[in-house]
Amino acid sequence: MGSLARAYGRPLAALIIGITVLWILALIVVPLGAMVEQSLWWKESAGETSLTIDRLYNDIATLQLDRDSATDTEKQAALDAEIVAKQAQATELEASEKNPRKIYGLANFTRMSELHIYIFVRTIFYALLVTLLALVVCYPLAYAVALASGPRKTVVLTVALIVPYAINELLRVYAWLMILDYRGVINGVLGWLGVVDLDNRGWIPFLENPSAVFVAMIYTYVLFMVFPMVNTLETLDRNQIEAARDLGATSWRIHRRVIIPHAKPGIAVGCIMTFMLSAGSYSVPQIMTRGQGGDWFSQLVYRQFYESNNWNMGSAYAVSLLVVCTLFILLMMRLFGVGLRDIAK
Amino acid sequence: MRGKDVRLDKVAIRFGGTTAVQPTDLAIEAGEFFSILGPSGCGKTTLLRTISGFIEPSDGRVLIGGEDMAGKGPNERPTALIFQNLALFPLMSVAENVAFGLEARGVRKRQRLARAEELLALVALEGYGGKMPSDLSGGQRQRVAIARALAVEPSVLLLDEPLSALDLKLRQHMRAELRAIQKRVGITFIYITHDQGEALTMSDRVAVMSRGRIEQVASADSIYADPATPFVSTFVGEQNVFPGTVVSANANEAVVETPVGKVSGRPKGALAPGAPVLVMVRPERLALDGRRENSFPARLAERHLEGASVNLVFEAKERRILAVVPNGPAARDLPEEMTLSFGRSDAMVYPEGPLANG
Repeated sequence: MGSLARAYGRPLAALIIGITVLWILALIVVPLGAMVEQSLWWKESAGETSLTIDRLYNDIATLQLDRDSATDTEKQAALDAEIVAKQAQATELEASEKNPRKIYGLANFTRMSELHIYIFVRTIFYALLVTLLALVVCYPLAYAVALASGPRKTVVLTVALIVPYAINELLRVYAWLMILDYRGVINGVLGWLGVVDLDNRGWIPFLENPSAVFVAMIYTYVLFMVFPMVNTLETLDRNQIEAARDLGATSWRIHRRVIIPHAKPGIAVGCIMTFMLSAGSYSVPQIMTRGQGGDWFSQLVYRQFYESNNWNMGSAYAVSLLVVCTLFILLMMRLFGVGLRDIAK
Repeated sequence: MRGKDVRLDKVAIRFGGTTAVQPTDLAIEAGEFFSILGPSGCGKTTLLRTISGFIEPSDGRVLIGGEDMAGKGPNERPTALIFQNLALFPLMSVAENVAFGLEARGVRKRQRLARAEELLALVALEGYGGKMPSDLSGGQRQRVAIARALAVEPSVLLLDEPLSALDLKLRQHMRAELRAIQKRVGITFIYITHDQGEALTMSDRVAVMSRGRIEQVASADSIYADPATPFVSTFVGEQNVFPGTVVSANANEAVVETPVGKVSGRPKGALAPGAPVLVMVRPERLALDGRRENSFPARLAERHLEGASVNLVFEAKERRILAVVPNGPAARDLPEEMTLSFGRSDAMVYPEGPLANG
């Protein structure tokens, strides 16, 4: 802090530190903290209390009946006392039913049903598949943009890549929906060619298959994969490629030994971004499957919040997804031998 | 390893509308240390890349060891190229770098690493195999690049100004080293440079290039002592240039009217009386007395002590004239007004033509 003040002067140093603190608070600490806090408590179940209250009123009604039919004053007095006690208990419970007790613990995390765990694992697997497919699609693209073409072609290719991103993400997803729908563009063309019979519902049900989601996701997140790769590939000295070729290496070996090792940090960043985005994507699976291709975990989280109205459980789901994704990224970084320092480059 | 000869047969290279290399014939002998010397932009690197296979000639043929190289890529030619920036692979160890060519040829790991160690010994880098290129000094990296190129047992090694990034001392040391390595392995070296010192000290023969054309191919000694054109004459070493017109000329002697008077010299090319010519005299051929055939008065303007020699700058008829004399009593306490002279055989008379540096 002292060195910062020396380098920029006190006011500017204070501003820099202030902005940094604000940034950390607004973007990391507060939202994450709120989510984690939310996930760590639950309201005591109201169902149990309501049942007890019902039983109490039942008892009171029975006692009242007994009391009305009783003739002995002593017995009447005893029953009256019992009714008053039960009434007091019921009133107390009714108060707590309206304002249930907050209980802290990890129960939100341990209460996930088997089906939800299955969906969770499947979502991670699907996100991985999307990342892998995006990598396969994007590497040649990034290579073409960064290395294989002249400066003018690079500009054209870059613009061509960015243009689709001027369109809203939802519209892009809906566009794919229209392409893959039962009576969509592809089925329409196939019907026109006579391959499928649309009149007798003989279309190909692309949307009932998870790959429809994959296609739309790759299209949606392609740029997040391409640009980090282009950035690292552009820094590769082309002489190295020529040197490898001159020494007799095939194109495959040049990619494997020279270009890909150099592009590793960019590949890692691209994969992390694509993986995170697709694991947490809500709109793409929601729109593309229309409930026919199996849920993604993000949809479950949404439902916990807005259909079950259980924000605590929803938060716990969201935090679980975050933790698993983060662990997964750290694991991938270790596997690829890429450090944070490389990624920061 | 055996060297092969390289022959260019009317090779011309054009990029779009511009001609980078004019139709060129060149014969480089097997096992020769051959330099191509020229200013930047003269087409020498283009020529080198054509020999290595990165560029296909627009016209003509490249023959290596008598075999036509048309349609063969850089990985199919018996050549290896050392790049100006060396282009070592920064993420591979030194040994992996050296062994890369063998790896590409499918040699087993144990064998190729053993071979890499041998090659590192050849360039005096035993035990450096495990280091990364970034851990090495400039000169060591240079030697790794040489070892890496030699690993594929090329018949012709192509070097694209590989010493230009080194400091002066190291550059001079590496010149001797390169020459020694070439003698040891006996293959053909084709060395590209814009530094005449490098070309003259290392090469068996030198080709001087200018504007996409080879001006002269000769031994280093003849390039300096007997340059064929005004360009070669002024590009290699220093020259005093006197423009003039021919008074009379035959095969052995030309008499020329110049601003410093009538002088005679050796004609280089056919000269007719009245033709514009350039008379060139090397600074070390000027004598500080009037005893040689061609003499003229001059005024001493500057004196620069170089150590073993002294550079004297004279003025005569508003022309600057440089004389280099050995340091000694004779080079001290010189009078301001002097008479300079040079012999008839010291002066070369060229038909007018382009000079180096404009």
